[in-house]
Order: sequence, then C-alpha cells, then structure tokens
Amino acid sequence: MSEVLRIENLSAGYGALGVLHNIDFTVQAGERIGIIGLNGHGKSTLLRAIAGLTGWQSGSIKLNGVEIGGIRSQGPGRFTHQIVRQGLALMPQGDALFHGLTVADHLDSGAYTRRAWRERVRRRERMLEVFPPLAKLLSVPVGRLSGGERRMVSLARGLMADASLLLIDEPSLGLAPKISKGLIEALMRIDLGNGAMVIAEQNLSRLEGAMTRLVTLHAGKLKGGAAANMGLLGGHH
Amino acid sequence: MHIDFYYLAVTTVTLASIYGLLAVGISIIWSSLGMINMAHGFTFAVSGYGAWLVAQNVSTNGVVVLAGGVLTGMLSGAVIGGLAFVPLYDKPNFAVRSLIATLAIALFGSQCLLWAFGPRVKALPPIFPTGGFKFGTASVSYDRLGAIVCSIVLLLAMLAWMKRSRRGLEIRAMMQNPEGAALVGVGLRSTAIAVMMMTGGLAGLAAVLLSRTYFISPFAGAIPLVKGIIVALAGGLGSLAGALIAAALLGLVEALTAVGLGGRFVLITQFLVIIIILLIRPRGIAGMLERTRE
Repeated sequence: MSEVLRIENLSAGYGALGVLHNIDFTVQAGERIGIIGLNGHGKSTLLRAIAGLTGWQSGSIKLNGVEIGGIRSQGPGRFTHQIVRQGLALMPQGDALFHGLTVADHLDSGAYTRRAWRERVRRRERMLEVFPPLAKLLSVPVGRLSGGERRMVSLARGLMADASLLLIDEPSLGLAPKISKGLIEALMRIDLGNGAMVIAEQNLSRLEGAMTRLVTLHAGKLKGGAAANMGLLGGHH
Repeated sequence: MHIDFYYLAVTTVTLASIYGLLAVGISIIWSSLGMINMAHGFTFAVSGYGAWLVAQNVSTNGVVVLAGGVLTGMLSGAVIGGLAFVPLYDKPNFAVRSLIATLAIALFGSQCLLWAFGPRVKALPPIFPTGGFKFGTASVSYDRLGAIVCSIVLLLAMLAWMKRSRRGLEIRAMMQNPEGAALVGVGLRSTAIAVMMMTGGLAGLAAVLLSRTYFISPFAGAIPLVKGIIVALAGGLGSLAGALIAAALLGLVEALTAVGLGGRFVLITQFLVIIIILLIRPRGIAGMLERTRE
C-alpha cells in the first residue's frame, strides 16, 4: 500500500492565532478517513493547510511523495493551484462556488488540468451518475440552486479532477439529515483507485461504519492519526 | 429645439462602443483581480504612442497601426499586472494597496511619456479610408463606421472567447470566486496577467479608434479613465452586461447634451445621470442581477 499523504509536525494558523499544533497524520491509498472534532478545533484548518490556504504554516506535507508544505508565513493561496494540479481536491466549507456560472461550467472548471479537460465530457457523465439530480440542472446558474444541490455541485466539481487525495469539509453541514445521508452514501460509492478520501465531520454518527478509520481532532491535536484501527474511538461517543 | 434623430443615433452608438471598450475592461479587472486599475488611462495613452511609433517607423497602413496600438496596450496591461497585482494580491488590504500602486504607475508613466515624447500632441494617420455615406439625414464618415464596427466586433469576439474557451472559463471563475478558482487549479497570477493583457488590448484599441477625438498626448488617458470608471460604476462593477447598458445610456446622454445644451455640459449631465442611477440602484444597473465580488 502506498502513502498518498504524509504530514509531519504540522503547525498552522491565522495571524497570531495558532490552530494546529505539531500534527502527524498519514493517509494510505484506498483509505476513507473520517476526522471527527467539534467546531473550532481545527478540522477545516487541517484541510486548508494541506491546500496551502492558511495564514501561516510550518512542517512537512508530502502528497504522493512530493513536498507541498514547508514554512510559509504569508500568502494564503499562493501555491494552492500548484498543489491542486499535483492531485489534491478540496471541497471546502461554504462550497466556494461561482454563483453566476452554470452547473455545467462548474463541472468543466473542475476538469481544469489538461488531461481532465480532454476527458471532461465523459467525466461529466460519470458525475451525473453519482449525482443524478444535477442532470436536469446543467444550464442553471448555481446561485439559484438549493443548499443540497449546491453541495452536490461542489462535490462533483472536486471529483471531476480525478485527484488522488479528496478532502471534504463537512459534507452534511446545513443540510437536512435525509439529504446529507444520500450525499455521504454517494461519496462512499466513489471508486478511489489509488487515491484516498478524508472527510471532516462534526457528527460522528453520520460517518460511523462507512469509513476505513476515524481520527479525532481536539484543540488542534490529532488522536488516532497514526494507528489504523477504530479501537481508539471505542466508547468515545 | 430640433433634434436630428439620425445624428443622435450615430453619435450615441459611436460613444457607446468606445466607452464600452474601456468600461468592460475596468469592470473585468475589478471583478477578477479585485483592483481598481487607475493606470487604465495610462494604458490608453501609451497605446496611442505605440500606434504612433508604428505609424512613424513601420507602416501607415491602418491595420498595422491598429495592431501596434492593441499590442502596446496588451504589453502595458501585462506590466501593470506584474507590478501592481503579482507582488501584492495576497497581502492585507490589497484593494487599497493596488489602487495606490496603479495610481503611482499612471503618474510615473505619464511623466515618462512627457519626458520621452514632449508635451505636443501627436496625430495618427487615418486608419480608415476618408469619405463617408449618408445615413438618413446624418453623414457618417468611414472613420466613425470603422470605429463602431471594430469595437463591437472585438467586444463580441472577446465575450465569445470568455464564454467558450478554457482560459475564458478560468477568468469567469476567478471573477466569481478567486479561492474557488485556485481550488480547481487556476493559477491566479497567470490568469491575472491574461486579464490585464486582454483589457489592455481593448484600451489600446479604444486609443487608436479615438485618436481623432483625443489626440495622443501624455495625459490623454485622464478623461477616458474617468469615463470608463463612471460607466463601469453605473453598470455595476463586475457586470459586463451592465457595463454595456451603461455605456449605451451614457453615450446617449452625452449625445443629447452635446446636441441640446452644448459640449461643455457633457460631464455635468453624465455625472447627474450616474448620481441618479446610483441613488436608485446603489450597486449599479446590473448590480442586482448578478452576484459579483462583495
């Protein structure tokens, strides 16, 4: 089994605020990992640090063996596009959609790398199989969609790139339980190939049983990050 | 008071197409880069000189001169992007910093033009054949017709390119949400330079087409910059459709004022109209139609 992601001694935050403290975290190919933690304990910051979107960060982050981390004191987002092109897809909280663009535009924009752009028609069809409701919304501007539909667009856009590491920040946030259950099931059906998936979630029950392993993030420190078993979480909830 | 409808129509369309070139540029730069480009007028002025140099040294052929102006505009845009956007965009208070940076480029650049070419205005050779034809009761020179057709064709070509190409999708994505664009792998710096070159080219085109009205001089860009910004503001910064509607409206106001009251009242009536528009619709004509950069 090969390593998709290896994080060593990662600290990150915004301005004077340190959010993550010396985190070590490894993701193997084929894994689906749930990061459980309360609001404000650093789940989003961890995912954003991998994408280079935090205010500052230090420590090593290796994506498929290539260093994408290092020490950075400013310039959030300066290297994000390069990291994304190396095989990362982050589906952030708030979705970061383009409100005036149509669903079809979003799917195309997800297939931004040259190879994906050539295959974008085929990939788009595959996405419509994963998220059937999007099929009849292709020409609708995303600003007019409901929250659940927007989340689907955000997830589909992230999946279009065929990234080796999928980071999904609270896929069920703000959605009705039934809709979020459907979305998580759709995410579980996706074939990861040699890639891996990391989902950050507040609510343990949404992910229970579906993931390869779960880790908890508490006050900027990770528990269970290195051990690949669920026992660590026994009796936690 | 007698108003000649045909004359009014021709003047309106001419002004609208040229304001459109400038306002669309300013609007695209604002929404994709988040920067008010105070050096857009400098690009206008320097493109005039570029076209003039081409006319002096290469050829007086209209197409060649036009291309010289457009290429100079693209180059100027790229330089402004390289100086004002690339080093600053991820720093705090980018909007204010870039405003100051582009203003500095405009002032410094205009002084350089003054130093290099002197204060005397220059004129370009005619781009289009002389002569004209009758449109109703108004006579239209080929020069005017050429200006109208050129700007409309180029604007439409640009809009189609933005709609269909991969690069255009990048720019539209960045206009809507820069972080989302970075997350799908769009390089903000290279896209910004592309935007600056595209809009600089439009300003260069406007400079050459307008060279019969605003002769080439170091500070020739001031009035076009002001008009471009007020048209973009009235249209709703960031909206291309709004910019075009506002360009048509303000072109009509200018033509009506010039015919009815006299040319010296043009800026007064234009500002009055804009103040009224912004009182009724604080985010501009199209500010409510499209959600743009907050």
